[in-house]
Amino acid sequence: MIGRLADDVVLSIEDLWVEYQTPTGPMQAVRGATLEIRRGEAVALIGESGSGKTTLGLALLRLLTRTARVSRGRARFRTGDGRTLELFSLGGSDLRRFRWQECAMVFQAALNSLNPVLKVRDHFIETARAHGRKDDRQTSERARELLRMVQLDGERVLSSYPHELSGGMRQRVSIALSLLLEPQLIILDEPTTALDILTQRAIIDVIRSLRQRLNFTMMFISHDLSLAAELADRVATMYAGELVEVGKVRDVFYTPKHPYTVGLLNAVPPIAGEEFTPLTAIPGSPPDLLAMPSGCSFHPRCPYATELCVRQAPPLFAVGNGHQAACFHWERVTRRLDVWEGAVR
Amino acid sequence: MTITEPLLSLDHVSREFSTRRGRITAVDDVSLAIGRGDILCLVGESGSGKTTVARMAAGLLEPTRGTVRFEGRDLRQTSKGEHKAYRRAVQLVHQDPYASLNPVRTIGDTLRAPVLHHKLVRGRREGTRRAAELLTLVDLTPPQNFLSKYPHQLSGGQRQRVAVARALALNPRLIIADEAVSMVDVSIRVSILNTMLKLRNELGVAFLFITHDLAVVKYFGWEGHVGVMYVGKLVEFGRTPQIIGRPLHPYAKALAAAIPEADPDLTRTKDKLQLRSLDIPNLTALPSGCVFHPRCPYVVPGLCDEVAPRLEDVGEGREVACHVVARERQALTPLSPSPGSTGEGGTEAA
Repeated sequence: MIGRLADDVVLSIEDLWVEYQTPTGPMQAVRGATLEIRRGEAVALIGESGSGKTTLGLALLRLLTRTARVSRGRARFRTGDGRTLELFSLGGSDLRRFRWQECAMVFQAALNSLNPVLKVRDHFIETARAHGRKDDRQTSERARELLRMVQLDGERVLSSYPHELSGGMRQRVSIALSLLLEPQLIILDEPTTALDILTQRAIIDVIRSLRQRLNFTMMFISHDLSLAAELADRVATMYAGELVEVGKVRDVFYTPKHPYTVGLLNAVPPIAGEEFTPLTAIPGSPPDLLAMPSGCSFHPRCPYATELCVRQAPPLFAVGNGHQAACFHWERVTRRLDVWEGAVR
Repeated sequence: MTITEPLLSLDHVSREFSTRRGRITAVDDVSLAIGRGDILCLVGESGSGKTTVARMAAGLLEPTRGTVRFEGRDLRQTSKGEHKAYRRAVQLVHQDPYASLNPVRTIGDTLRAPVLHHKLVRGRREGTRRAAELLTLVDLTPPQNFLSKYPHQLSGGQRQRVAVARALALNPRLIIADEAVSMVDVSIRVSILNTMLKLRNELGVAFLFITHDLAVVKYFGWEGHVGVMYVGKLVEFGRTPQIIGRPLHPYAKALAAAIPEADPDLTRTKDKLQLRSLDIPNLTALPSGCVFHPRCPYVVPGLCDEVAPRLEDVGEGREVACHVVARERQALTPLSPSPGSTGEGGTEAA
């Protein structure tokens, strides 16, 4: 595809394939992902472990391990000053600038992303210096301000080592740090996973208020559908390396059109309501990425599957306004549980 | 209420640990009872003491004070034979099946070992037949596909099913599941919960189910009871639908309100309970009075920070440890004399 990015597009991913080298041959972890993220938007990438969502995030920041490579596709990014970057051909200083100044990633389990022998203050100062901001006083001032925004006592936290902070505090430090160089896009990988419920709530509230104040664009990766319901404007479901459904958050949650999204939604226990809510499991387990089923990769687990699904991989169909789903039978897909009961086990 | 002995009971149990920073009380005066085929869920955040309770109930840890009883017998006074029977009847399933399954043993070996050791079957062939039976019980079918596999060849959900199968090997009457579904994916979580519910309904296995997730409690423990723990103390106890539908203790309220829902409109408009502080207190320096008072939005100065509330019966078999709840009840009850503490149809302060 040639042409400029539309003015309001921050990130455009086109037909992205990521391949891992394994002892038994190449494995496609991301298969032809296409996604656009517009300025100011929050997009949730949901899916279970092994669906390729973290790999996709790492590929964008060029942080894949040596055994993985982008084997096809492109990703373009519009910088703050209006230039368009081809992410997969960035090198040297452009790449360094892109990371942190244009796009920052907050990783799961914040303990590992903070250096245990550096105080929090030094994380901020070193990051700023590496990007040419040499005024340490100014950096500290900004750090204190950001830490206040994530509900932390700036002075105390700045002079702490990571291990002196709780998991929730470290996660908030990572979020504050990611915002230091005012990137346009923040990628959060499982921002609340492995945290206690009240801490999760605090992180959700912090992210929401930061977005209101700083108006950055956000892509977050999560296996937790509730988090997407809380924070996302749009949701993309990933299954076995493919984006199988994309749409506005209310469309995807209230009228999901891909059976896998439905299966996920029907498996999440609600807390609200005085009644018992029956749940169903998705039968079977995700495919071996080295031995993918023919046709639609979800067909062995799908109650709607027909002969067609076994033969042919479905393209993304337009199923509504800004809503797409990769299912031949999307018109028949509903959230009704009885559809699944026959299929379970 | 049953007259018969509960299967397992913890009677005013406390457990202390020595740490470099001093002694901590991980569990403080907790009493619980589980009857045959019951489901009892313990919910709380990290540091709440729920895992320590699980370990004491499983006999892996002795209480510092208080008594653990199995079928009415104090575990410290059981004979060798009785202790062996208890060890067989009560089985633990851990959070992490990676860590709890031996990587160099096949699934078949793992499941045969306990039945052969306890002489429940004779010979390897019968052991294998029992192993296959166990795999079928946890829905790993056909069992032949799994017997000769090693743990690393299975998915996380399948490994957790094997852990449940192993727990079932000795025909237990109580399974203690400590965050047993916390590490598996959503769709697999439900099917493991459904499998465990089936074991309870068909084999009468009781469950002590430990989790941090109230939504999972609502699903798995709907027909049972919930205990909410906070820094070592039981702060609320009752039937699951009551506690989920209308939690009374401010901490239980905060937990229920904090959980995001997989429903955009609902979750964004849900009433949240704003706590005064995010910090879980340090176990070496617990707050005076009610341990929750520094975070509690309803705190009454001069009361909550001075006197520790006791777990009190609030009717319908429900217990709450909170001065504010107790005061509200006192303000409401004198008008309608309490019908006694018989439980059924008691005083639900509306």
